[in-house]
Amino acid sequence: MTERSPEGSDTLATYVFAVCRGVDPEAFTGLPGVGGEEMRALPLGTLTAVVQSVDAADFTDQAWQSRLSDQRELERYARAHHEVVSATAACCPTVPLPLATLYLDDERARQGLTDEAERFHTVLRRIAHHAEWGVKVYAPEEAADDTVATAPLAATPSERTRPSPGAGLAYLDRKRGIQRRREQHRDEALRIAETVDTEVRGLATAFRRLRPQALQLTGQRHVQVLNATYLVADHRADDLALLTRTLRERTGVRIDLSGPWVPYSFVGEV
Amino acid sequence: MSEVDFRQAGSPISGPQSANLADILERVLDKGIVIAGDIKIDLLDIELLTIRLRLFVASVDTAKKAGIDWWETDPALSSRASRNALRDENRELRRRLDALESSTDGGDPPGAPDEAAPVKTKKRRTT
Repeated sequence: MTERSPEGSDTLATYVFAVCRGVDPEAFTGLPGVGGEEMRALPLGTLTAVVQSVDAADFTDQAWQSRLSDQRELERYARAHHEVVSATAACCPTVPLPLATLYLDDERARQGLTDEAERFHTVLRRIAHHAEWGVKVYAPEEAADDTVATAPLAATPSERTRPSPGAGLAYLDRKRGIQRRREQHRDEALRIAETVDTEVRGLATAFRRLRPQALQLTGQRHVQVLNATYLVADHRADDLALLTRTLRERTGVRIDLSGPWVPYSFVGEV
Repeated sequence: MSEVDFRQAGSPISGPQSANLADILERVLDKGIVIAGDIKIDLLDIELLTIRLRLFVASVDTAKKAGIDWWETDPALSSRASRNALRDENRELRRRLDALESSTDGGDPPGAPDEAAPVKTKKRRTT
């Protein structure tokens, strides 16, 4: 990785979205990409890179740093990237590249990507006729009495009346009970997550466990206990849908299935 | 939930919009063959955590605007809520301590904390 930085605001750089085989440029013509000139197909021998010329000044380290602080901007770039990758993959076998893969110009892009051609071919073979599916398991709702038991904490203590004798002991007992129930609850949720993971792995070609998404990140009320992603052969997609339905009924917990995705998670080292 | 049917040649654009941003980010940021480009962008070195943190802040704000702030009052989820609970508890204890101390002015050793109510204190002080 060289550390040459673009100079001057009128310098163009080549942004690479994906590398694919036999793409029809129609697939991504008209898409805005990450903002720049027309989307293009850059031939790399038997492969093709999907690229766009962008203003290099928009892609400096500093520009990215401030972009990361702005959720709307980050979202715009991530979705734009994803959109081009998805559109390309809709028409031909595609290897997605990570967000913000840039070269100084087309020639450098061709060189750099051609050097990796062998890897691209290997990956294309691996993901042929496969799609990525995300499976998330959420912990079931905690028993209602927990909420009731914790409620006095939130109440304004100044309005509390004088505690009766033995109130301290009762309080501790109650706290211990809550703690115990919470632990049991968590163990149960994790056990269900393991079951789901094992069963889904049974029909997947490859799998990856991702970090569970934070409660606030997902905007969900329920805690995520499994965030995994699976590479599933196209002909098994229906089996997967059926399996998750069955698991949902059997365990009674919320299980989300998302996909099919371009196999993003399975094009690196698996 | 988030259905992204990239094989639907008819509308490849409509799909991604419905996908969860967190799902997209965790895929486009740290996955894919990592090819070192010419222009050095530290994006891949930046801990996803940073992004998560920033997203977290942003999403909390969004949620608050929508009136969803239940985690702020649940001590199990919010350190601020437990701080509040602690502060309240502390204030309550100080109040009782004050009551106790003023009761010892009279010379009588205080009884169990349960009995050290302000009403009683006042009575003792008059003796």
